Amino acid sequence: MPPIDCEDQELLEGFLAETTELLEKLDDDLVALEKSSEDSELLNRIFRSIHTVKGASSFLGFDLLVKVTHKTEDVLNRLRKGELLVNPEIMDVVLEATDLVKILVSDIKSGDIQEREIDGTIAKLLPLLSETAAVQPQAPPTEAEPKENGSTQSNPAEQAQPIEPSAPAPGPDPSAVTKPEATPTPPQKIGGDIVPKKAATPIKPAEGKGEDLSDNTTVRVDVKRLDDLMNQVGELVLERNRMIQINQNLQQGDVNKVDFNEEFSKLTKRMNFVTSELQMQVLKMRMLPVEKVFKKFPRIVRSMARDLGKEVDLQIFGEETELDRSVVDEIGDPLIHLIRNAMDHGLETPDERIAVGKPRVGTLVLAAVHEGNQIIISIKDDGRGIDTDRVGRKAVEKGLISEEQLSAMSQRELFDLIFLPGFSTKEKASDLSGRGVGMDVVKTNIKKLNGLIEIKSEKGLGSEFILRLPLTLAIIQSLLVEVEGEIYSIPLSSVLETLRVDQRQFHLIGGQEVLKLRDMVLPLMRLQKIFNVQQHYEQNDFCYVVVVGAADKRMGLVVTRLVGQQEVAIKSLGNYLANIPGIAGSTILGDGRVTLIVDPVGLIDGGEGGSGR
Amino acid sequence: MNNALVPVKSDESLGELIQLVSFNLDQEEYGVDVLKVREIIRMPTVTRVPNTPHYVDGVINLRGKVIPIISMRKKFGLMEVENDKQTRIMVMDVDGELMGFIVDAVSEVIRISGSEIQPSPAVVASGIDQECIAGVINQAERLLVLLNLEKMFSQDEKQVFGSL
Repeated sequence: MPPIDCEDQELLEGFLAETTELLEKLDDDLVALEKSSEDSELLNRIFRSIHTVKGASSFLGFDLLVKVTHKTEDVLNRLRKGELLVNPEIMDVVLEATDLVKILVSDIKSGDIQEREIDGTIAKLLPLLSETAAVQPQAPPTEAEPKENGSTQSNPAEQAQPIEPSAPAPGPDPSAVTKPEATPTPPQKIGGDIVPKKAATPIKPAEGKGEDLSDNTTVRVDVKRLDDLMNQVGELVLERNRMIQINQNLQQGDVNKVDFNEEFSKLTKRMNFVTSELQMQVLKMRMLPVEKVFKKFPRIVRSMARDLGKEVDLQIFGEETELDRSVVDEIGDPLIHLIRNAMDHGLETPDERIAVGKPRVGTLVLAAVHEGNQIIISIKDDGRGIDTDRVGRKAVEKGLISEEQLSAMSQRELFDLIFLPGFSTKEKASDLSGRGVGMDVVKTNIKKLNGLIEIKSEKGLGSEFILRLPLTLAIIQSLLVEVEGEIYSIPLSSVLETLRVDQRQFHLIGGQEVLKLRDMVLPLMRLQKIFNVQQHYEQNDFCYVVVVGAADKRMGLVVTRLVGQQEVAIKSLGNYLANIPGIAGSTILGDGRVTLIVDPVGLIDGGEGGSGR
Repeated sequence: MNNALVPVKSDESLGELIQLVSFNLDQEEYGVDVLKVREIIRMPTVTRVPNTPHYVDGVINLRGKVIPIISMRKKFGLMEVENDKQTRIMVMDVDGELMGFIVDAVSEVIRISGSEIQPSPAVVASGIDQECIAGVINQAERLLVLLNLEKMFSQDEKQVFGSL
C-alpha cells in the first residue's frame, strides 16, 4: 500500500475525521435499514456515505479500502435500485464489510498500514453482485470503461443487470468516482503550490448535504481547549465563593473598611483576570482557520483560468490563521469577488504578458496574517494594475461622478471609484464580471464586518487589495466618548487617533467644517448634530476629535470628552431599529445602561444624509 | 379609574375565551392578548436612539437583551405626560421581536369570550390608527379597546424602521 506524502498529512486528517464520522453514522443507518427496508432516503444516505469513503480513499491511494468500499457500494447500489431486497443475509455481509472498512481505517489512523485479508469479505459480496447478473453480460463497453479503476477484479459488465434500466446506471456513478483520480494532472499546469489542495476539492461534491449541515451547527473543539476552559470555570467558581465570603463578612460587620477595601480590590483584579481569560478561551473555541474559506479557491481559480484562457499560479499563505466563525462565514463572498476581479481585470492573457516582458504565468497571492486584534487578508496579482485614467473616464461616462469631481480626485479616491455600485470598466457583462456588482458586494460585506479595505496598485505591475478585519464580531474594543452628556462607543478598530483641539482651529470649506491635521485636510462631523443631542454643557472652546477611518476614507468626529477604552459585547438593536444611520448596534455598560455603538463607516458614507435630520 | 373593573365571568359560552391584559392610556382602557405580553416592568433608564421616529423613546437593557421602547402616547398622538409611579413598560412580542411599550398603568388580566368583541365604530380617538384596533369590547360599565399589535406599525412605518 503506498505510503502517504507528509504534505498530505492535513488531507489525511480530514479524510480520517470525515470517514470516522461517516462510519459511525453508517452503523446506525445500516441497522435502521434492516428494520425499515422501504426507506429509500436512508438507503441513499448509506450509499452516499460509502461512496464518499470510496472516493476519498481511492484518491489517497488506499487500495484495500477502495476494493472493499467499491464492492459494498455496488451491492448497495443494487439495493437502491430494487434489484436486491434487503434481507438479513445481505445486511450481514454489508455489515461485515463495514467492519472491515473500520479496521482498515483504524490501521490508517494508527499509521500502521498492513496487508489484511480482505478477499474473504469481498468473496461474500461478490455473489450478491453476480447471481442475477448472468443474463446480460454484454453491457456496452463504452459504459463499462470509465468504471474500471484498476482496483476491481470483476469485470463491471458482470454487474450489469438483467433489468433494462440498470445497464446505463454504472455510467454516471463511476464517472463521479474517477474524477478524483483524473484531477491531479491538470493542476500541474497551474503550479506546485496548489496541487494538494486542488486535488482535494473534487471530493467535496460527493460529501453530500448532511456534511454541510453539521458543519454549521456543530463545532469540533480540541479537548485541550475544553480542559482549559473547565479550569478557568473552576477559578471563576472559587472567586465567586470568595465574593460570597466577603459579602458575608461585610453583612456581619466584622471587617473594618480598610480590610474590606483591600480584599475587594484583590477580588476585583482576580475576577477581571479570570473573566478575560475565560473570554479568550471561548473566543478561541469559536475560531476557525481561514483555510475553510481559502480551500475552495484553487478550484475556482483553476476553472476561471481555463474559461479566461489565462495561466495563473495561485499561492496561498497563512491559511492556518484563525478567526471567528462569524467572520469566516462572511468573507467568502467578498474574497471570491476580489479573486474574480483579479483574474478577469487584473491578470493579462499569456500573450499579453509575454508582450510586456512578464513571465507567461501570472501570479495571484492570497495571504492571511494576524496583526494585533485584526486579521489582514491580501489578494495580490501581478497583472496590469488599475488604470486610474480609464476608471475615472468610465465613472464619468456612467454618470456616477461629474467632470469637476473627477478633476479634484486624488489617486486614492480614484481607486475608490471601483467600489461604486454599477461601476464597471467592461463594455459587456460576462459570466464572470462586468455587471458592476462584485466590488460593491465586497465593500458592503467588509463594511458589515467593520473592516477596512486598502488598495495598492501600480499600472502595469499589479494591484493588491488589503482587507483588515476584526477577529470577532461579538466582542470589540471600543472607545467610549461623551457627547453633551450622552455616552457613545466607537469601535477602536476604526479609530486612528484622537486629538484635543481648540474649536477656533476649525475651518469652513463650503459649509463643511474641516481641520488641518498635519499635511491633510480632515473633514469634521459633529456627533452632537448628527445624533441631535441637546446641548448639555456650556459652550467650550476645547473639544476632542476622534479620527476614524473606514475602507480608505478618513474623518474626524467631534465629541465633548473621551471617557475611556473598554471591551464591549455587541448587542443588536433588533429588527426594528437595525438600520439607523450612524449606529452599528448597542452594548451594555458596567452600570447596566445601554450605550449605542457608532458606525463610523456609515457616518462617512452617508454623512450628508444623516446630518440633515 | 379602576373602580369599575370587575373581572368578567367567563361562562358566556359563545366563542372561545380570550385573556386580555388591560392597560390605561389617557383615560381610556385598552386590551392586548395576554399571550403577546412577555412581562411588565417599571421604567428603567432609557437610552435615547437618534434619528428614529418620534415615538421611539429609545432602548433599554432587559437582562442583557437590548429592546426598543415605544411610547404609546406618542404613537397614538396623545398628550405627553411625565412618567409617574403607575407608568409601566409592557414588554410584548411583536412579529417575533420583543418591544417595550410605555403605558400609563397596567390594571389586570380579564377574560372575555370572542363573541363580545365588536367591530370598532368608524370614528375612534383621532390619533389612533384604525388599523391596529382589532375591536371594541362593550360591557356594562366599561369600554375596552382591543389592540392588534401586529398592525401597530403600518407597512410604511416598518419600512421606515428598516431603511432609516
